[in-house]
Amino acid sequence: MKNAKNVNYWQIDHRIKNIYLTKGTVILSSPEAWRKYKWTRNYFSEKPKEGYFIWVKEQVNTPLSTCVSIGGQNVSQKLQNLLIIEKNLKIHLQGTCNVLKKNLLGTHKAQGKIVLREGSSLKYSHIHLWTEKDIVETNYEFFLEKNSKLNYLYRTLFTPNKLKASNLFNLSAGAVCNVKIGANCVKTKTEIKEIMVLKGNGSSGIINLRLVGKKESKVLARSRIVADSKAKGHLDCQGLLTDKKSEILLTPELDCRNKLAQLTHEASIGQIAQEQLTYLRMRGLSEKEATNLIINGFLGS
Amino acid sequence: MPILLEIKNLEVQAEGKKILKGINLQIRKGQVQTLLGPNASGKSTLAQVIAGDKRYKISKGEIVFENKNISKLSPEKRVKLGIALAWQTPPAIKGVKLSSLLPKISKKKPQIKEGKELLEREINVNFSGGEKKISELLQIIALHPKLAILDEIDSGLDIKKLEYISKTIRQALIKKKITLLIITHQGHLLNYLKTDRVNVMIQGKIICQEKNYKKVLRIIKKYGYEKCKKCKLLAD
Repeated sequence: MKNAKNVNYWQIDHRIKNIYLTKGTVILSSPEAWRKYKWTRNYFSEKPKEGYFIWVKEQVNTPLSTCVSIGGQNVSQKLQNLLIIEKNLKIHLQGTCNVLKKNLLGTHKAQGKIVLREGSSLKYSHIHLWTEKDIVETNYEFFLEKNSKLNYLYRTLFTPNKLKASNLFNLSAGAVCNVKIGANCVKTKTEIKEIMVLKGNGSSGIINLRLVGKKESKVLARSRIVADSKAKGHLDCQGLLTDKKSEILLTPELDCRNKLAQLTHEASIGQIAQEQLTYLRMRGLSEKEATNLIINGFLGS
Repeated sequence: MPILLEIKNLEVQAEGKKILKGINLQIRKGQVQTLLGPNASGKSTLAQVIAGDKRYKISKGEIVFENKNISKLSPEKRVKLGIALAWQTPPAIKGVKLSSLLPKISKKKPQIKEGKELLEREINVNFSGGEKKISELLQIIALHPKLAILDEIDSGLDIKKLEYISKTIRQALIKKKITLLIITHQGHLLNYLKTDRVNVMIQGKIICQEKNYKKVLRIIKKYGYEKCKKCKLLAD
């Protein structure tokens, strides 16, 4: 990994490779945080065995980063992660979870809680890179306190054999949440679940889902926005199928419990337009190059 | 000059309907030729077929480029041979910026005054008519082809944009001896650029090939395309 020394938390298999402290932060393994800070036990669902604890107490102007990798054969990770951003801080976090080479048959299970205190802001880019023999299950819960703001980008560039990714976003009054999920699903069974609960007045959120089904993939995506208050929410779910044997099932759900709330959604599944392919091929790109460019654009749109 | 492109008795169908009905056309290296014709006469179909659009089926005839029959070649292979097409109505490609496409099609950055602000936008997404034309021209210049086919590059432009487009075509294409096939419905571009030959296409046929384009334009303006067949100047 490039510039590994500057990665704030770097774990390979079960071993912490590096912890790089940035001024204003506390960065520990989750088991150590459990021992040192009893209040963290309110967030961990059980005593953690591995994972990271990042507590941002002061403004940090450079992006924080984490990297959790699998490098050994048949490794099974079970992480519990906790990230706390204190009041009024604006933080950028880049998280990567990956396997270092093919055919390691890795299992990566991660549970996490991410807490944005009042008025804080987090831009979180979460990148996954797996191979077709790995198994991945993630379960994250986000707590957005009053007037906090989250921009969450999750992108899986190569999906594992089985992927289960679940995120729950809890928004207090005035909180704003933009979620962008992009999954390039290749030879995989993928289940993605996003739930956003608009609890506080004036909260607003958008879930933007982009799924590509390639090479006999089966993709199931359930996205739900619940409005308990005078809030605004929008779901935008789009799927792209690139072969005849792949399947995508999109289930957008709107659950409105307040007559002053505004919830909307749009959903579509289709194939790559022949016109787009022809256009790019007339710019000299091969069919494969044109397809990849369109897919990457779709995932990023 | 040697012949660069030769179209021999070309018949083309789409969805079972015959669109081109025996096209014959020769373009020599370094020439600027123009294809004029009313809406739905088959001009854009011809352009797409030359560039390799497989949505159209060639039922008869052939397309020869530099003495090689290219009728069955893929679009990208035709680009490599030196054929580039500026689309009349290019598709929007969400999420793909022009700046990420250009390095894939050319090592050299095209040097043009306008259009730089388009680079960081998604290709043709919410582009105005004029922006689409500039983007197309930018890509054609980047490809540095032997033959550039400009399909309705002058349609829907205000005078200032039209002057800019024609000046750019002159400087970046004609001066560099790139052969041109200009497709135009209204012939606006011919007020700014000289053409070696004008071809008039009606209902899938080229019914007139004439060097004196000013006369042809005058006749079309006076009588309209429907009168072309009857015109003494235009031999059937």
